[in-house]
Amino acid sequence: MRHLHRAAILAPLALAAALPAHADEAALQAEVEALRAELAALRDEVRQLRADRTAPAAVAATAAPVASTSAATPNPTPTRAEPATTLWGYGQLDYNRPTAHAADARADLSRAVIGFNHVFDEATRVYGELEWEHAVASAEDRGEVEVEQLYVEHALAPEYGLRAGLVLIPLGLLNEHHEPTQFYGVERNFVETAIIPTTWREGGVTGYGSTESGLRWNLGVTTGPDLGKWDPASDEGRASPLGSIHQELQLANAHDLSVFGALDWQGVPGLDVGGGVFTGRIGQATRKRSGGDANFPADDARLTLGEAHARWQTGPFDFAALYTRGSISHTQALNRGFLGQPTPVPKTFFGGYVQGAWRALEWNDSALVPFLRYEEFNTAASYAAQPPGLGTPAQPTQRVWTVGANYYLNPNVVFKIDYQDFRYDDAALNYGNRVDLGIGYQF
Amino acid sequence: MHVRWLIPAGAGLAALAPAAYATQYLSVEQAGRAAFPQATEFRAHAAPDAATAARLGAPPDWAPRVLEARGAGGRLGWLIVDQVLGKSELIRYALALDAAGAVRSLEVLDYRESHGGEVRLAPWRAQFVGKTARDPVVLNQDIRNISGATLSCRHLTDGVRRLLQLYNATLREAPEAP
Repeated sequence: MRHLHRAAILAPLALAAALPAHADEAALQAEVEALRAELAALRDEVRQLRADRTAPAAVAATAAPVASTSAATPNPTPTRAEPATTLWGYGQLDYNRPTAHAADARADLSRAVIGFNHVFDEATRVYGELEWEHAVASAEDRGEVEVEQLYVEHALAPEYGLRAGLVLIPLGLLNEHHEPTQFYGVERNFVETAIIPTTWREGGVTGYGSTESGLRWNLGVTTGPDLGKWDPASDEGRASPLGSIHQELQLANAHDLSVFGALDWQGVPGLDVGGGVFTGRIGQATRKRSGGDANFPADDARLTLGEAHARWQTGPFDFAALYTRGSISHTQALNRGFLGQPTPVPKTFFGGYVQGAWRALEWNDSALVPFLRYEEFNTAASYAAQPPGLGTPAQPTQRVWTVGANYYLNPNVVFKIDYQDFRYDDAALNYGNRVDLGIGYQF
Repeated sequence: MHVRWLIPAGAGLAALAPAAYATQYLSVEQAGRAAFPQATEFRAHAAPDAATAARLGAPPDWAPRVLEARGAGGRLGWLIVDQVLGKSELIRYALALDAAGAVRSLEVLDYRESHGGEVRLAPWRAQFVGKTARDPVVLNQDIRNISGATLSCRHLTDGVRRLLQLYNATLREAPEAP
């Protein structure tokens, strides 16, 4: 038997060895071709099955009106599986070199951000943005770790819904869309930093929605700044009045709530025209609250900030203009207590800019976009009247020209260069002509 | 503003909430009937094969659903359902092409993200009507952007361009279904 087995194995081998080589190759080739065709057919079949699973095989049309048949055919589920949690992020690295004081040149990893979006169900999600500023945050370092947004969103209908949590205030062009690929120049513009304190967020409940005609609206009831935190000895209030007293939902004093409303119309492709108002009392019951200042004279102080903007993107051109103005009431008695200090509370502050950008060169995914921006802003345009000889004169209005270019390696990675020309220098506020370089990305 | 005012405000908002909810703006069926009111049938057509997908630079799991719109006189055009990434979630949309491959309509079927939903605005979508594979269909060239929704605009524009190229590569020569 063993010999028979051996013969059975050896015989075909011997036969195969005796066949001419070219016949062997031809057979093999034919078999490979057959397998290849079979594989292609299987692949197409799998693709077809995958598509079939996600949509009805055919949608039978009837004469019935479209709207009345919306529930007749089950809607296909997405053709690709969607994870419940997705991550996104952006980052920004800057280099600033003052032209008159090169010794003050500075490089900074100004922002590293991780965002997340978790979907609980079709209508409900939580959306968050976590940020590290200036690379290192510890008791000995100057960096910060911040929660920039954290809210639960519940859509009541596809067109409108509610958000609750830490939300960005929808004023201006930058506050909600502040990724470095979204703006021109290495640094965010001054108006939307000094007057609208990007990234400005408050805790509260907001409603949002949009219409088919292109009108987008936002309404909200939120926490507000705390005037009790004003430091008349610091330059922070001169740099940004609201930036110096915002609370960012960090154990925020919340006796007084604020309200806001914002509208944007985008009914013509490329055009965005909008504006909004934020207002509320900002005394936060400082006089009455435990541990507060019993002599605080500005519990009734009210902040009102209004803003209007327009942006027109057409072909290779991108034009934008924005104006914002704010006021704080009931500061006369408060400022009397600050006499002799460098930074009283302003009564009014304002800013505006116009900007033009041109997508001059474009190849594959890359683009070179030079731009020019002119800004005017004043963080203390007026103060409440004081007795003659005791008041603080209003600040001069700062004017800044910025010329530069964004080079987009691809739409999500940008290299930037610009030159900024200031009307007047102010070392404490980092105002002075300078050259800036930057890198930004988002994903 | 006092907190006590929030109670009636909250009650008012709660009254607005519908009992049922769907993120879907439009079904495939609705999109098909809106684009081809005279259609008597939407017949499934083979999905693009892997070689075509690779040639068009499509993502690996690209699987658009292709339907042939048919009327009494034969082929009316095509309805293609596809999806692209917005910022971090998928946008599902239906592109209707006439028999010559020109865009009849673009409908956003589902949009889930927290920001960027403006791509569903009719005036923005209307920019695509009449486009063919011979047009650039590139954001900031022949398609204008929406401020604040750049990623969604870019990805949806890229998706439409790919479907126009799909028409050019395969559907244009496809024999009519019997």
